[in-house]
Amino acid sequence: MNKTFAVIRREYVERVRTKAFVISTVLLPVFMVLAVLLPGLMMSGGNRTRHVAVVDASGSGLGQPVSEVLKAATFGDAKNAKPRYQVQVFPADAANLAQVRDGLIAKTGFAKDRQPDGWDGVLVLADSTLASGKLTYYGDNVSSPNSMSQLQRDVSKALAGVRLAKSGVDQALVSKAMASADLDTAKVSDGKLTGQSGEASFMIAYFMGFVLYLATLIYGQQTMTSVIEEKTSRIMEVLTSSLTPFQMLLGKVLGVGSAGLTQMAIWVGSAFVLGSQGARLAGAFGASAEAARSFSIPGIAPSLMVVFLLYFALGFLLYGALYAAIGAMCNTIQETQQYAIFVTMFVLVGFFSVFALIKDPTGSLGVTMSYIPFFSPFTMPVRWSMTSVPLLQLCVSLALMVLALLACVWLAARIYRTGILMYGKKPSWRELWRWVRA
Amino acid sequence: MTAASVRIESVTKRFSGHTAVNRLSMEVAAGGIFGLLGPNGAGKSTTIRLIMGILEPDEGKIVLFDSPHGSRALSQRIGYLPEERGLYKKMKVLDHLIFLGETKGIGRADARKRAQVWLERLGVSEWALKKVEDLSKGMQQKVQFAGALLHEPELVILDEPFSGLDPVNAQVMKDIVVGIAKEGRTVLFSTHVMEQAERMCDRIAIIARGEMVVNGTVAQVKADFGGRHVALGFSHDRQRAAAILADPRLIARIDDYGASAELKMADGADPEQLLAALVREGVGLRRFEVVEPSLQAIFIAKVGADPTATPLPAAGAAA
Repeated sequence: MNKTFAVIRREYVERVRTKAFVISTVLLPVFMVLAVLLPGLMMSGGNRTRHVAVVDASGSGLGQPVSEVLKAATFGDAKNAKPRYQVQVFPADAANLAQVRDGLIAKTGFAKDRQPDGWDGVLVLADSTLASGKLTYYGDNVSSPNSMSQLQRDVSKALAGVRLAKSGVDQALVSKAMASADLDTAKVSDGKLTGQSGEASFMIAYFMGFVLYLATLIYGQQTMTSVIEEKTSRIMEVLTSSLTPFQMLLGKVLGVGSAGLTQMAIWVGSAFVLGSQGARLAGAFGASAEAARSFSIPGIAPSLMVVFLLYFALGFLLYGALYAAIGAMCNTIQETQQYAIFVTMFVLVGFFSVFALIKDPTGSLGVTMSYIPFFSPFTMPVRWSMTSVPLLQLCVSLALMVLALLACVWLAARIYRTGILMYGKKPSWRELWRWVRA
Repeated sequence: MTAASVRIESVTKRFSGHTAVNRLSMEVAAGGIFGLLGPNGAGKSTTIRLIMGILEPDEGKIVLFDSPHGSRALSQRIGYLPEERGLYKKMKVLDHLIFLGETKGIGRADARKRAQVWLERLGVSEWALKKVEDLSKGMQQKVQFAGALLHEPELVILDEPFSGLDPVNAQVMKDIVVGIAKEGRTVLFSTHVMEQAERMCDRIAIIARGEMVVNGTVAQVKADFGGRHVALGFSHDRQRAAAILADPRLIARIDDYGASAELKMADGADPEQLLAALVREGVGLRRFEVVEPSLQAIFIAKVGADPTATPLPAAGAAA
């Protein structure tokens, strides 16, 4: 056991000390910050007050109610929220419509450069607008679906108000009646509220699956490479004389695994800091709080966190052991590729099953997959986050995983023991089977 | 000291296509230096790997210290330097030695102390905190040597320990190996350099094509080889000796090195006869000495692998 621990420590320390480890550990959170901030920064134009010129050629004074509704629109619900639009109405008629419109369009697109007479967009109300609802907007932000649907909603509201007023409905009643519905979702589990929204559950499950997927591929390959490296450097001839292959491989899988888990812990930790402090950080970088909020990571229930971490660690090590077995049967990295693809496929099937599970987390597919050690690290956290999983199922599934992990290391050790001195010769499947039984 | 450190009992190991070790039996007694000699490809490394439990024999068995356990369970008592040297290139020298010590079951703090002592002794202590890959080949070999001996094993198995070392370093290693034997521990090493084996070993085994050729103490092997041997050194007129040296009535076998030669006298022939004949012909002699056969000569005679040796027609009958 002490010997295994020596191998674990060596693998861990040597890995954590490398420049590559330090650099990747630091760089990924930097990328995460950028991933949170960049879209925010790019969309920060979206919550700048837009200068809109309303050309009113409706002939029925439609410009007035439209501009009032637009002026009343704000970002968010707060008391002193920023208005969405700054509006000025330009009356026109059918004769000079084109002239007025083109004159304004010529100044459109300069508003963000703080030019006093520049516009972000020109909204043209024609005489048929009230009846048909057709109107045209010329602007530099037409390619932003968010801004356009917001504008459309605001204008629709104004038109509906005018139409209702014409039919004799009181203006106050109109605005009360037009208040839009605001749907909040909440997850119920076992008749109790969990305090998570449906969207949040999905995001967490998806995020977990993705992290495991990524970690497995990166660190599994590292375990494999490290086994191969030991063969090419011939160090294992000294090691096999004092360690059993099982000790060597278990130490390797656990050592590389803990290095990976350390890195993951740093990454996930920084992701949560970002999630909780995202708004403040975004503010520091000049992006709006709202933009940052749309990328925030929802809070995770402690029990889910425990389940996730258990499955993550076990799944991670299990796949590490599989990759170690592949390393044991090959002599070069190139050779490993044809075998590694099978493991990658397992990971992919596990990962994509998450999407099927989200539709039906209690179905037999989910339960079956929870018992298959290669898939359960993906399916169990998802099921846990979306429904309640019986404790017995959880225990059986975890026990199966531990067994599978040891079996994999054992299998890898059998292959390793025989394959160790087979330099330069690639085994056939039949030979592999013989090695395992030997 | 009576128990055998290593006992190999009729061991056979086959690889796809050829038999590397063929029903080999030998015993390495506790204490002293045992030389495993043989030409390239004779099965020396395979034999050592079998002893170390890296390979499993197809037939026969290997017993260490008269114990029922394999080499891995006994690894604390055994030190091993493989022929293929290998270290973790990115590791620091000291860390590496500590790790090797730990795999032999030594505690971390103890391993550190021992590693420092060894680095000091081998004169590479200033490299302790450098990475292995920054060291020269010879220095790496010293580090690995230290790694094999760190845990003070009672049986030290060295596969070609002196190959690739310059004379100065080879001398340092030789002194250490001799020192281990003096402490009553056992050294088993393989080599194909006969002079070295002759000077260092108490007992030897010569194997060829996976089979035992000669086995015993050096003195015994020489006595068994028998015959009278003469070492010659020429100073001038070497060519005048040609006819005499080719005479099967005088000489059974010759290893000709040009400026010198080692001869085995034919049965019934006298070294004085030879000397008289050489003087008569006017051959300039630097050296004429009746000697024990060298291991080199025995090796060549037995294995017949050295192309520089020219057996005389009568050699077959004489040997």
